[in-house]
Amino acid sequence: MSTLLVCAILLVLMLLGAPIFVVISGLALYLLASAQIDLSAMIIEMHRMATTPILVAIPLFTFAGYVLSESGAPMRLVRLSDAFLGWLPGGLSIIALVTCAAFTALTGATGLTIIALGGILLPAMSRGRYPEMFSMGLLTTSGTLGLLFPPSLPLIIYAIVAKVRVDQLFLAGILPGIVLVMLLSAFSVQRAVHFQVPRARFRAGEAVAALKEAAWEIPLPLVVLGGIYSGRFAVSEAAAITAAYVLLVEVVILKDIGWRELPEIMRKSMVLVGGILIILGAALGLTNYLVDAEVPMNVLSFLKARIASPVLFLVVLNLFLLAAGCTMGMFSALTVMVPLMAPVAQAYDIHPVHLGIIFLTNLEIGASIPPLGINLFISSIRFERPVLRLYVACLPFIAILLLCLVIITYWPWLSLAFLK
Amino acid sequence: MRERLHRWDEAIARCEKALVAVMLSLMIVLALLQVLLRNAFATGISWGDPLVRNLVLWVGFIGATMATKEGKHINLDVVSRWIGEGRLWLVRALVHFLSVGICAILAYAALLFVANEARSGAVTFLDVPMWVPELVIPVTFGLMTLRFGLAFLEALALRGSSESPDRRPGVA
Repeated sequence: MSTLLVCAILLVLMLLGAPIFVVISGLALYLLASAQIDLSAMIIEMHRMATTPILVAIPLFTFAGYVLSESGAPMRLVRLSDAFLGWLPGGLSIIALVTCAAFTALTGATGLTIIALGGILLPAMSRGRYPEMFSMGLLTTSGTLGLLFPPSLPLIIYAIVAKVRVDQLFLAGILPGIVLVMLLSAFSVQRAVHFQVPRARFRAGEAVAALKEAAWEIPLPLVVLGGIYSGRFAVSEAAAITAAYVLLVEVVILKDIGWRELPEIMRKSMVLVGGILIILGAALGLTNYLVDAEVPMNVLSFLKARIASPVLFLVVLNLFLLAAGCTMGMFSALTVMVPLMAPVAQAYDIHPVHLGIIFLTNLEIGASIPPLGINLFISSIRFERPVLRLYVACLPFIAILLLCLVIITYWPWLSLAFLK
Repeated sequence: MRERLHRWDEAIARCEKALVAVMLSLMIVLALLQVLLRNAFATGISWGDPLVRNLVLWVGFIGATMATKEGKHINLDVVSRWIGEGRLWLVRALVHFLSVGICAILAYAALLFVANEARSGAVTFLDVPMWVPELVIPVTFGLMTLRFGLAFLEALALRGSSESPDRRPGVA
């Protein structure tokens, strides 16, 4: 009874804007105290999490992403894809999708995509005579597109929390990520033809110039992925190489960013890292208690008695995760839900890596779902438009994304093809 | 009083920024060096990896106190959008009050943890006792307690004034 009361109070304070880590820690500390377990158990979990070897990848990739977003890289990325895709019908919308996806993979779905690229792409789409509602819907839902491509932060966090191999999860996300981008592109092309937006011509000179300009950034995905899958270095080492490479290119070679600006970029990126790590630590403290108290077992027996088929279980799981992604936000949903749901899903014979992709696809879509999806609010601030207009603008794109979700959920091959 | 607290807070923030910059740079250099040594010479620095892990611990927790100072902790902040300006101070005060309490308990739990570790006598890189780098946990939770306390005082000071606290967008 008093546990319910504490939960209710914490829930109200969470809705009033209390930091998520405070709410989670509060609940964990209360449960530990009432089970008469030493409170330092909470800190043991936080410390264990913070010194996991793979965790080094998070500050390094995040820092590299921030440096990229403050440099001229977003502009060069847009110019490059414009040169190569601009001549297609609906070319500009495909450019927007591809650049947002690439950028989100590198900066880790932390809200930077809409902030860094939205300001370039929205005016470009307006000049290209796309209706504003269409452009805003596309850019808002693209804020988390690309989350399934390595080395995005949520993939790494899922791997840590669910204890699956990060390199396998990286591989698993590639095909489902491509499906998301392809279907959205197909929809955009259809709309562009319908809107009769003017088409550009392919110019070889511009393509070469754009290639030259982005020559230093193009090898970046190879550095990240090639190194990991050739077995030369671990994910955390790839992160160090990425950070060093980005510094070399943007600070030393291209001089987009001065040495004096670096401490400020470091500070900004580490504020984000600290905010994420402390939620991760608090959530592990909480779930450690919950696992000890056999809560996942109880959830499982509750579900098993009511849902027999894995197909139905996946429907319920998807609805539940979409709601979690929309309301709790990606990082808190990941850290709290994964340890509780992973053992349950395993009992329904769902592959742990496939489950990871289902989780992340849901949270990616949830971030754009009204009324609380975070992308809607970031866009509303970035584009200075009322949130209600964005709700409407996003609906057609959410419909396409949900179709992708169904495909990804019920066609495990997509996620597991590269693992064999 | 609040003036002086603010000045101290700013001074601490400058130290944090410098520490984070130095540690992150060291992290990149060390991790890179390890890759080079391993691939080129099939060797490595034995204390390198544990040191890098401890740097992540420090950078993470210092990042969290900086997030506290800047009001950048990940939160939901849904209801306050629909709360009138006049009542906002009360909501802020309530939320910060809870945060002060929880962070104080976490700081206490962290002290217990460090004391246990000190008794165990375990060592990490270069024979440094484990509990030394772990001190960052109680220290940063202590700082977070103070900073939420400062934010609480500020929310109270806003009572009755028409000036509204700024509404920062959350990240992620």
